[in-house]
Amino acid sequence: MKRLSRPGEGEILLLTASRLLDGRIVWLGEGDHWHESIAEAVRFTYEEAGPALERALAEAEQKEVVAVYEVVARDTRPPEPVTTREAIRAHGPSVHPDFSYDHAPVREKEKVG
Amino acid sequence: MTQPASRSVGHYQYEERDRTFLQERINEFEGQVRRRLSGELSEEEFKPLRLMNGVYLQLHAYMLRVAIPYGVLDSRQLHRLADIAARYDRNYGHFTTRQNIQFNWIALKDVPTILRELAEVDMHAIQTSGNCIRNVTSDEFAGAAKDELMDPRIHAEIVRQWSTLHPEFTFLPRKFKIAISGSPEDRVAARFHDIGLLARPGENGPLFRLFVGGGLGRTPVVGQELFDSVKEEDLIATLEAVLRVYNAFGRRDNLYKARIKILVQTIGLEAFRKAVEEELARMDRAAYRLTSEHVAQIRARFALPDLKAPADAADVLEQHKKADPVFARWVASNTHPHQDEGHICAVISLKTPGAIPGDVTAEQMHGLADLSERHSFGEVRVTHLQNLVFGHVRKDQLHELWQGLKALGLAAPNVGLISDIVSCPGLDYCNLANARSLPLAQKLGARFGDADLQAEIGALSIHMSGCINACGHHHVGNIGLLGVDKRGAETYQILLGGDAGENAAIGGILGPSFAEDEAVDAVARIVEFYLGQRQKGETFAAMLKRCGLKAFKEVAYETV
Amino acid sequence: MKLFDLSGRKPLEAASPVPFAEWKETRQGTAISLAPDVEVEELRSHLGSLTLIVLEFPVFRDGRAFTQARSLREYEGYEGEIRASGHLLPDQAIHFRRCGFDSVVLPDGANVKDWEDQLGRYQFYYQNTAVSPV
Ligand code: HEM
Ligand code: SF4
Repeated sequence: MKRLSRPGEGEILLLTASRLLDGRIVWLGEGDHWHESIAEAVRFTYEEAGPALERALAEAEQKEVVAVYEVVARDTRPPEPVTTREAIRAHGPSVHPDFSYDHAPVREKEKVG
Repeated sequence: MTQPASRSVGHYQYEERDRTFLQERINEFEGQVRRRLSGELSEEEFKPLRLMNGVYLQLHAYMLRVAIPYGVLDSRQLHRLADIAARYDRNYGHFTTRQNIQFNWIALKDVPTILRELAEVDMHAIQTSGNCIRNVTSDEFAGAAKDELMDPRIHAEIVRQWSTLHPEFTFLPRKFKIAISGSPEDRVAARFHDIGLLARPGENGPLFRLFVGGGLGRTPVVGQELFDSVKEEDLIATLEAVLRVYNAFGRRDNLYKARIKILVQTIGLEAFRKAVEEELARMDRAAYRLTSEHVAQIRARFALPDLKAPADAADVLEQHKKADPVFARWVASNTHPHQDEGHICAVISLKTPGAIPGDVTAEQMHGLADLSERHSFGEVRVTHLQNLVFGHVRKDQLHELWQGLKALGLAAPNVGLISDIVSCPGLDYCNLANARSLPLAQKLGARFGDADLQAEIGALSIHMSGCINACGHHHVGNIGLLGVDKRGAETYQILLGGDAGENAAIGGILGPSFAEDEAVDAVARIVEFYLGQRQKGETFAAMLKRCGLKAFKEVAYETV
Repeated sequence: MKLFDLSGRKPLEAASPVPFAEWKETRQGTAISLAPDVEVEELRSHLGSLTLIVLEFPVFRDGRAFTQARSLREYEGYEGEIRASGHLLPDQAIHFRRCGFDSVVLPDGANVKDWEDQLGRYQFYYQNTAVSPV
């Protein structure tokens, strides 16, 4: 397995994936549930993240997620990913404020529609 | 025929068997999704299968890429694409340089239903991705342009059919792109495709100049001429032979060296040609002959526009131009001469300065489809520069069309000008990106948005890719921008001097990469330098040749 | 080993194929297996002695054996059995058939119905293959 990214000072690790059925971005939360909002993501230390990732990968098929991996984030509330790529995944495309995940989580938006 | 021929001009009319075929293909895909969900197929196995049906897993969702063979749509198809954008996407479609349309917010579970809705209007997503022969592209002015030698779409359709679910060439080392043009002015970037075909009429039927091994991406290569004059009857045999050599000998151990361009480079053009000729010599030529009867059958399924225009159509257009300078400016940049005196080709810019290149809303698509029914025989084409074309507009009605486009917010007078920026989706949507490309394209578009300034600058192309894969063709823009990751930060390299056409050239890298705002300023300085130093009528490419890359480099890095 | 019949020719169940390089030395039997990087012309002088050629797929995405099969049929005039072996998907069944394969070695746990469904899926194809004309 490829080596985990190492969080720096004031940073933690989160686990993320894409949902198999609709491809939407999800974050691993309490009780090993996958959530759409990064605010619900469990924060892992470097040491905790390895076993958690292994477990998540083992359960990926059953939980219907693909492309599971770890993301380095600042330990804020909610956590804020360090890289632009992961920030875009957490908040939505930067070119469409109306598609932002922060104001209306995808799930709710779809229910209305 | 189930539909009147007048329904769609410019593309092949499906027969019943074509429709049945699409249904069977969708059933197949639906089964594959089912097997994926049941765990019978692993993700590794499913991925190539879904890709062959245009389904990618992108940053935020699945992306569905729908084929627009040789770039021609009819109004009912465009209406349907609009419906799909509204129902299954977030109300947008994104036209690409490969004459496809992409939907960025698709759920896998909806894909079979979407494919059925597409099939109702004779559309599909077959082979829009994956390591197979991709959607065949062609000239956006096919069958209309004044400079055309022959309409390439009949043969584009023949190649489309031949490549569809080809049993031998569905698991190639890498993707395979074919483009075909019938104009002396290469408008399809024939030298930047795995195979580029330039068709012309000969004494005994059409002849095809065949280029092989061109491409962009990590290793940009200008394609080389494999054959000067392939006869029509040998077209399919020749394609078979080239693909066979590639399938047998293309590299499979390294994704980045798997394209045919690397094979041709490695063994050399002569050795490659010899291998193809050996295949041709062994082949049962009768079995692969493209007969004139078959060509005639396909041709018969293309409806031709009935080009009748009033005798004074051209005069009326001149009067409209005189009366309305804003319209005249749009005509100057956004039209192309038509074979028929009373008609003209209109290019609809999808690059409104400041907007996302190639993006259209469902409402705009519906509006465009309606306009095409009124003004272009219900035919809409997609260009390899992410714009749309109405191929056959009556000159005396062009002003009315322009007003309709204005109402849709699609009348930007900038085709071929600096704000007509080609851009890939970049890091905002793409899983492979290093940097965002859309915000930069928006900023550049806004910076040069002023119509007077653009007109003064004249023809100049900016092409932008978010990573080395070069989906935005940054190598062939006069000014190319490439997103690179510099220790986690998004930065941009500038390339100068690319050209996709007859004088095909790959842009040279200027120097170290810039931060986003610096890149915008550097481009502005380059353009200013061009404006200040150019001689009368000198193009950007010509001045670059005269002054050298170094002079531009000094200007670009002036204050950084 | 379970075989799936694609062409209606009875697969040679009992044959035990030997890698071609080895077979050239020993000439034991009439069944060989061929790696995807071998050009089939190398078999030309031996084809009369062969009744089964097994073509290998290291991974289902590696399509070289499709070209090998068609070359065997179209250029070399080989009429014995051609069999696919390795990492195979039922989604490839018609491609095998149309390129001239007669049989496949079913992967472990294969669902035979998937293979049967796939063979009967299409009523027509867009291209001629000299092996199995439309
Ligand atoms: C958003 C998802 C996309 C992904 C994942 C993607 C992926 C790729 C990859 C991996 C390559 C490099 C292939 C190689 O060199 O072997 C490539 C090249 C290319 N793509 Fe994309 N692409 C995407 C979107 C687009 C779009 C939006 C366009 C059109 C605007 C496009 C058109 C092209 C073209 C023209 C090339 C380069 C020419 C060549 O084949 O050498 N792609 N793409
Ligand atoms: S060039 Fe790179 S970033 Fe842009 S779409 Fe292609 S793969 Fe994605």
